[in-house]
Amino acid sequence: MNLKLIRNLTMPLALTLICIYFSIREPSFIGPRNLTQLIVEFSITGTLALGMFLVLLTGQIDLSVGSGVGLIGGLSAVLIFQYNWPAYLALLTGLILSVIIWSLMGYLIIKQRIPSFIITLGGLLIFKGFFWQIIQNSTIPVSRGDIENIYSKLTTYYLPHGLGLLLAFLIAAVLAYLIHSERNSRREHHLTVSSPYKSISSWLIITCGLVGITIIFNHFRGVPLTLLVLASTASVVYFLTQHTSFGRYIYAIGGNPEAASLSGINVRLVTTLSFTLMGVAVALTGFMTTAYSGASTTTVGDLMELDAIAACVIGGTALRGGRGTVGGVIWGALIMTTLLNGMTLIAVPPEIKFIARGTVLTLAVWLDVQLGKKK
Amino acid sequence: MALLEAHSLTKRFAGITALSGVNFELKQGEIHALCGENGAGKSTLIKLLSGVYPFGSYEGELRLNKTLIAFKTVRDAQEAGMAVVTQELSLIDELNIAENIFLGNLPQIGFRVDWAKVYENTADLLKNFDLKLSPETKVGDLGVGQKQLIEIIRAINKHPSILVLDEPTAALSDHEIELLISHLKRLKAEGVSCIYISHKLDEVFQLSDRITVLRDGQTIKTVQTSETTRSDIIRYMVGRQISDLFPKRVNTKLGEVLLETDQICVADDNSNQVFIKNITLQVRGGEVLGIGGLMGAGRTSLLMHLVGAWGKRVKGKLYVRNRLVDNRSAPKDSIKQGLVLVSEDRRRYGLIIEQTVGFNISLSHLSHYAKFGKLSLLDEYDDNQKMYDFLHIKAVNQNSSVEGLSGGNQQKVVIGKALMTEPQIILFDEPTRGIDVGAKLEIYELINRLTDAGKAVVLVSSELPELMAMSDRIVMMHEGELSSVFNRNDYTQENLLSAAMGQL
Repeated sequence: MNLKLIRNLTMPLALTLICIYFSIREPSFIGPRNLTQLIVEFSITGTLALGMFLVLLTGQIDLSVGSGVGLIGGLSAVLIFQYNWPAYLALLTGLILSVIIWSLMGYLIIKQRIPSFIITLGGLLIFKGFFWQIIQNSTIPVSRGDIENIYSKLTTYYLPHGLGLLLAFLIAAVLAYLIHSERNSRREHHLTVSSPYKSISSWLIITCGLVGITIIFNHFRGVPLTLLVLASTASVVYFLTQHTSFGRYIYAIGGNPEAASLSGINVRLVTTLSFTLMGVAVALTGFMTTAYSGASTTTVGDLMELDAIAACVIGGTALRGGRGTVGGVIWGALIMTTLLNGMTLIAVPPEIKFIARGTVLTLAVWLDVQLGKKK
Repeated sequence: MALLEAHSLTKRFAGITALSGVNFELKQGEIHALCGENGAGKSTLIKLLSGVYPFGSYEGELRLNKTLIAFKTVRDAQEAGMAVVTQELSLIDELNIAENIFLGNLPQIGFRVDWAKVYENTADLLKNFDLKLSPETKVGDLGVGQKQLIEIIRAINKHPSILVLDEPTAALSDHEIELLISHLKRLKAEGVSCIYISHKLDEVFQLSDRITVLRDGQTIKTVQTSETTRSDIIRYMVGRQISDLFPKRVNTKLGEVLLETDQICVADDNSNQVFIKNITLQVRGGEVLGIGGLMGAGRTSLLMHLVGAWGKRVKGKLYVRNRLVDNRSAPKDSIKQGLVLVSEDRRRYGLIIEQTVGFNISLSHLSHYAKFGKLSLLDEYDDNQKMYDFLHIKAVNQNSSVEGLSGGNQQKVVIGKALMTEPQIILFDEPTRGIDVGAKLEIYELINRLTDAGKAVVLVSSELPELMAMSDRIVMMHEGELSSVFNRNDYTQENLLSAAMGQL
């Protein structure tokens, strides 16, 4: 019991320590401006990590997503800037293309039984090549002139203060309803129900957190739109993994593909679908990260696949598949982003940042191996 | 003289006491059998003796030659002269027989491995065990029984002073078992002590000097083998008298034909080699069709093919409940048609080992709980609980990880998963392998209950008494082909065995 509690507290504790360190080095770290930026960066990494999470759960890996993020973001930018497409159509095209590419890649991996490591390593290089060709090694803005569009607003739009608060309360209300109906149906099934005080107090904590964070955001510009993208993605992935057959199947396939197949699971379809969803995450991340840097350039998406994998592994997702939680991935992404954001803020030279990033990734994988051994 | 002594060993896992106050003594040059049902604590005791559970994780004391020992790792135990062969094989498929046997203690000349010596010694060892195999054969190409023998040879080749064998004969043929027994007797004469775990009481009585019975984590009794009987041992093991191991069958009315094959020939997916030849059989509702045969006769392949998990059908027709099944059929289609397989290799083909009991039980039946894509987790929980109670699965609860369960309980989880799909035809592949008497009885009763309810059962088993007691009809398989059908009244051990060896 105690061990479980300690393990649950490791990540909040690590995050707190990191935050304290950076705040001492640079007090503006906890200012609303930087926190808002941090949340935008967190949303970007988190969304990609959630896609990676689904792929890792099935026991596969995807190294191509960094290049893919650049490619899809760049393609949509080119469609808007050079071909004068309406922004929504350009984004939709990028999304559809991404879904098609990743579905095909998933199908190729599972049908031809080529290790995903190899196929996606090839993808990394191929996508990067196409990406640079499409933007012709230059810088393509996400909008024409100063005309704002949904693409450019993706990371600069903030909810009006009132709306942000309303949304926070709305989520709290929905949560209350869900907790209530869960308790009722547990009672119907004669299962133990935790004391009402416990449920109410944990609901209160979450609500206070939601409202508190909204107020902090409102001190600057408001709740960033990207956070809503991440929250929706996380809710969908959570629902998929915990409340659908598809979710069970990916855990089963990651745990033992042969037994899963004999249990009547369509291993090929489920694995391909997890890559399809990765495609959605790649497109969303591509749009957000390109919009965040204001324009598509050759460096957009660089090494993001490693940040996504690190976030998953830090959060307890097993590289060999079958183990991991959405909550863990979110914590992992938050830790990874905080580290990167803090290092940029206190002006750590890029070469040191590379080393730090690599160290964190290595440590996380080492930890994953240690945990696997303990099992 | 006592070589190894264990005094009041107690080992606890979260919430469960696996061993409580176990005493055990092994004399120099003795073969000491360890008997007990699954979950009685035999494997835990072995793991404790061999350093898998390090010193400090248990209570009580271990003495080797009167001196207190504290194994921190498996290697410590090995260096003290302990060699353990467990049910889980630890050979490396990619290496050949000789490399596997000498792995970890390769003879050297200077810095160079003395390969000539390795291959020469291996050839001798193989000859000793009457194995007609080249030392250069890749272990991955061997059958389960042969792998088991190589594992035993490797242990013996370490010249241990204590040899521990955990269910060594589960996958062996009668001839191989005889050879093993004669080798163990020779080793005993050389002064090697042996702890021998087996559910096969015939072997235990043929081989051992003394027997220690464990039940529910406690030592029940240690007796001289010459002064006891099989029924005594079974009584100690289960704590009750089992008058008849095989429950009486009420003859049930036969239903219509549920599974039928017509002259099917099946080739391997990769090598295109035809392994299954001209199989014609019929199974009706309410009957048990037994399939016997030696290791490697193709029984498992046949069952895997019937559910669509292996092989290309190059000839013949397969009907499941009167519907023609084509080559594209996968296990998911079979399950929809009411045909399920309970595989012989539960770790490989049966279980998602790190998940919970409930996760595994409902895995094949999840679509049943989905409403607009959302699973009704509580309905699932209820049904899982019913199955969990129905099969008397012993675990903390259905949220326990499958990994920590005993073999018998893991097998029940696999069976539970199959039964959840409400099948009409159930294929059991060695359902009682490595399982204790009590759990065996429960599985036999379950099979009878299934046929009473009008289901068709196919039972593959290497144990003739089991096959003869449980089946309505028996066919023997030999090198991918079927013998004639034996009916209940005309089978004897002799004619079944000759059919298995292709003599009929």
